[in-house]
Amino acid sequence: MATTDKEVKELIKREYEHGFVTEIESDTFEPGLNEDVIRRLSELKQEPEFMLEWRLKAYRRWLEMDEPEWAHVDFPKVDYNAISYYSAPKKKEDMPQSLDEVDPELLRTYEKLGIPLHERAKLAGVAVDAVFDSVSVATTFKEPLEKAGVIFCPISEAVQKYPELVKKYLGSVVPAGDNYFAALNSAVFSDGSFVYIPKGVRCPMELSTYFRINAANTGQFERTLIIAEEGSYVSYLEGCTAPMRDENQLHAAVVELVILDDAQIKYSTVQNWYPGDENGKGGIYNFVTKRAACIGKNAKVSWTQVETGSAITWKYPSCVLRGENSVGEFYSVALTHNFQQADTGTKMIHLGKNTKSTIISKGISAGRSSNAYRGLVKFGPGADGARNFTQCDSLLIGDRCGAHTFPYIESKNKSAIVEHEATTSKVSDEQMFLCRQRGIDPEQAVSMIVNGFCKEVFKELPMEFAVEAGKLLEVSLEGSVG
Amino acid sequence: MKPAPTLSSAFLHPAGQTLPEPLLALRKQRASALVDMPLPTRKTENWKYSSKYLKLSDDMAISLPAEGKAGASLAIPGYKVVFTNGVMIPEASEYPDLDGISIQSFSDLSADEAQSLSLQLGSTLNHEQAQFARVNGARFEDGLLIRLKPGAVLDQPLFIIHNTEADASGSAYPRIYVEAGANSQMTLVEEYTSNGGAAVLVNTVTEFNLADGANITSIRLNMEGEQVQHIGATGVLQAQSSRFESHCVGFGGQLRRHDLQVRLEGEGAETKLNGVVVTQGKQHYDNHTSIDHVAAHCTSEETYRNIAADQSHAIFNGRIHIHQDAQKSSADMNNKNLLLNNGAEIDTKPELEIYADDVKCAHGATIGQLDETSLFYLVSRGIGRREANVLLTMAFINELVNQIPVQAVRETAQLRLNDFFEQTFQEI
Repeated sequence: MATTDKEVKELIKREYEHGFVTEIESDTFEPGLNEDVIRRLSELKQEPEFMLEWRLKAYRRWLEMDEPEWAHVDFPKVDYNAISYYSAPKKKEDMPQSLDEVDPELLRTYEKLGIPLHERAKLAGVAVDAVFDSVSVATTFKEPLEKAGVIFCPISEAVQKYPELVKKYLGSVVPAGDNYFAALNSAVFSDGSFVYIPKGVRCPMELSTYFRINAANTGQFERTLIIAEEGSYVSYLEGCTAPMRDENQLHAAVVELVILDDAQIKYSTVQNWYPGDENGKGGIYNFVTKRAACIGKNAKVSWTQVETGSAITWKYPSCVLRGENSVGEFYSVALTHNFQQADTGTKMIHLGKNTKSTIISKGISAGRSSNAYRGLVKFGPGADGARNFTQCDSLLIGDRCGAHTFPYIESKNKSAIVEHEATTSKVSDEQMFLCRQRGIDPEQAVSMIVNGFCKEVFKELPMEFAVEAGKLLEVSLEGSVG
Repeated sequence: MKPAPTLSSAFLHPAGQTLPEPLLALRKQRASALVDMPLPTRKTENWKYSSKYLKLSDDMAISLPAEGKAGASLAIPGYKVVFTNGVMIPEASEYPDLDGISIQSFSDLSADEAQSLSLQLGSTLNHEQAQFARVNGARFEDGLLIRLKPGAVLDQPLFIIHNTEADASGSAYPRIYVEAGANSQMTLVEEYTSNGGAAVLVNTVTEFNLADGANITSIRLNMEGEQVQHIGATGVLQAQSSRFESHCVGFGGQLRRHDLQVRLEGEGAETKLNGVVVTQGKQHYDNHTSIDHVAAHCTSEETYRNIAADQSHAIFNGRIHIHQDAQKSSADMNNKNLLLNNGAEIDTKPELEIYADDVKCAHGATIGQLDETSLFYLVSRGIGRREANVLLTMAFINELVNQIPVQAVRETAQLRLNDFFEQTFQEI
C-alpha cells in the first residue's frame, strides 16, 4: 500500500492532543520520600490520627517489599526519591466553594481537554470530581446528589467528614500491603474520589472523575473508594490525561469497590495518559491496582476500560466474587502504538456458589509496541456451579509489534466450568480489499475494522464515553497502517 | 526474607567413571556451574504449582547402582534398549546392526565421537526453563546416542525401557541424544517404569536434532511408581521441512514433571504434540510445553487432555512463541481438562507470545466435569451410571490415545487407564 506510506508518515507525526502544560502556581513538595514527608502530607490534609498511622504502616511495609518484575514490560528503574509526592494548585485563599471560584486558568485547562465542567455537567448530567495533580479541584453537581443521599466527594474530605466509613472500608479490598504499588499508594495517596451509595438508591446520574498530571516530576497517587450498599446502583466514569514531558512520570493509583447484596457498580475508564513520543521518550508509567469485592448476594460489578495512553500500563481490574450468585464482568480494549507497553488483564476469583464472570479482552498493537493480556480465573473449593467465559483477541498492525496472552486458570471445584479462547490475527487483506474496492480509503478502512473488532467492549460503555473512545482509537491508530 | 533454598552440594558428585574422557570433562564443567543452583519455590514462575511436591534429600543424591532385574516385561514388537538406573544394559537390549543407523551407549563411544557429542549435548534445550536438565548434564552416567544417516529409515519402532530399581533412596539420570540426518525416519518409544518403593529422583533428558526433511515420532509413556519424583526434559530442534510428532501419556505420582521444548528453526517445519495425563489419589503431574516458531511458514498443533480425580493435581502450561519475522506461522493449542472430584485441582496456562503479524494463532482451554446431558442420555438408554461415566471419560481421552501409532503402547496405556477407571468410578 504505497499510497498510504506518505499519509502514514504525516500521521505518525501527529502530536499528543492533550500535551499542554498549565502555568499555575502550585505548592509542591521537594522530591523524596520518608516518614516526614508522609507526616507533612497527612498534616497538610488535616487528617485524623488513624490515617497517619495507616499511611506509616503502609510505608514501612513498602520499604520491605521488592519491586515486582514479572510483567512483560521493560523500563529503567524508577527512582522513588526523585519524585515529589505532593503537588497542589496553589490556592489564593480557601478552597473554592463553587465553580465560579475555581482558578480560571484551571478551568481553561479542562476546556482544552474537552470537558468544560459547566457545560458537560449540565448537558450530560454528569457530576465531575476533577483531580488535578494531587487534589480534587472541584466537584460539580453536589446538591442533587446530596438530595439522593449519595456521597460523592474528594477522599480527603471523606476522611474528615465520614471517618467511620473510611475506617471501615479503606484497605478492605486492597490491603495496604497487597503489592508494591498499592503499598506506595497507601502511604502517599494525596486525593481521589469517595462515593457512598446508600441502601436502595439508584444514583440519579453518572458520576465522573477526571485525572490530570500537570506538574513536572510529580507522581499522582489517587485513591478511589466506592461503596454500594444493599440494592443500590451506580455508574462511575474516569478519564485521564497528562501533558507532554520528556521524563517519565509515575501514576500509581488504587481503586477499591465494595458491593453489598443486590447492588451493582459499573466502572468505566478511558485512559489517555501521555504515551511518550514516537521514539519512546517520556510518557506515564501507569501502575494501578483496581479491585472489586462482591461481598453480598447477587452483587454485580462490571469493569470497562479503554486504554490507549501511558508509556507503560500495568493494570488488572479484578473481581472477588464472594457473595452467592455474584457477577463479575471485564471488558477491555487496550491499544498500544510506537513504543508503548501494556500488560493488562483481570482476575476473577470465584469463592461463592453460582458466581459468574465474563472476560472480553481486545488487544491492538501497532508500531513497535507490546501488548499483553494477563489474567487469572480461579475457582475456590466452595464455588459450586461457578462459570467463567473468557475471550481474548489480539490484532497486530505492523510486523514489529508484539501481542501476548498469559491466562492463568485454576480450578478446585468439579462443578465449576471455565472456557477460555484466544486468537491472534491481523487486519486481513480480504477485509481491506473489500473496503477499498468500495471506495473507502485505507486509513478509514482500518479504523472501521478495528472499531468492529472492539464493538463488544464499546457497547458496554456509557454513550458519551463510547463516542469518545471510538474517536480516541481512531486518533491513536492513525498512521499505523502501511 | 528467608534465603532461597539451593541445590544441596551432595548432588554435585557424579558417580560412574566409565564414560569417555570428553564426556567426563563436560560433566565436571557442568557440575561446577551448579554450585548454589537455586531450587524452585512457589515464586518460581515455571514451578509455581509444583515446587511443593519437590522433596529432595541428600540420600537421594546418591546414584542408584546400575544393576537389577532387566525390567520391562513388555512384549516388544520392535527393537529394544534397556536402561537400568540410567545405565544401559547391553545383555537385555536387542537391536540390529542396520545400514545407516547407529545406536550406541555413551560409554562405547570413541574419544572423537564423544568429543563431537560433548559439543552437542544440551544444545536443544533452554536451560532457563528446564533448570533440572542442568542437573542431568552434571550427573549422567551413561546415555544412548542414536544417529540416522541421511535417508535412513528405521523399519520398526525402537523401544527404550528406562527402569528404575528403587530399593533404596537415590537418583538416576538417563540421557538420550538423537541425531536425525536429512530425510531420515524413526519412531522412538520411551517407557519409564520402576520397581521398589523407596523415594527416588529420576531426572531425564532426551534430545532430538532433526535435519532437513527428517521425520521423527516420539512416544513417551510414564508409568513409574508412586514414590518416584520424575523430572524430565525433552528438547527438539527442527530444520527445514522436518516433521516431529510427540505422544506423551502420563500417570501421576509424588512428582511428575515434563518439559517439552520444540524449536522450529527451518521453514516449513511441522510439529504435533499430543498429551494425556491422568492423576488420582494425591498424585501430581505437571506438563510444560513450549514451541518456538523461529522460522517462517511453520506449523504447530498441540492437544493436551488432563483428568484429575480424588485429591490429585494436574497442571498444563503451554507456551507458543512466534518470533519476529516468523510470518505465515500457524499455531493451534488446545487443552481440555476434566475435574472429577472436589479436592482435586487443575491449573492451566496456555500462553501466546507473538512478534509477527501475519500469523494464525489460537488457543483454547476448558476445565469442567462430565456433561450432565450426555450422562442422562446414556443412563436413559439403560446404561449404568458408573459405566456411563467410564464411557464418557474414555471418550474424552481416547481421541488422543487412538492416535498413538504403536499398537503395543496403545494397549499398555489402555490397560492402565482401565485400572484408573476401576478405581476412580467404583463408588458410583
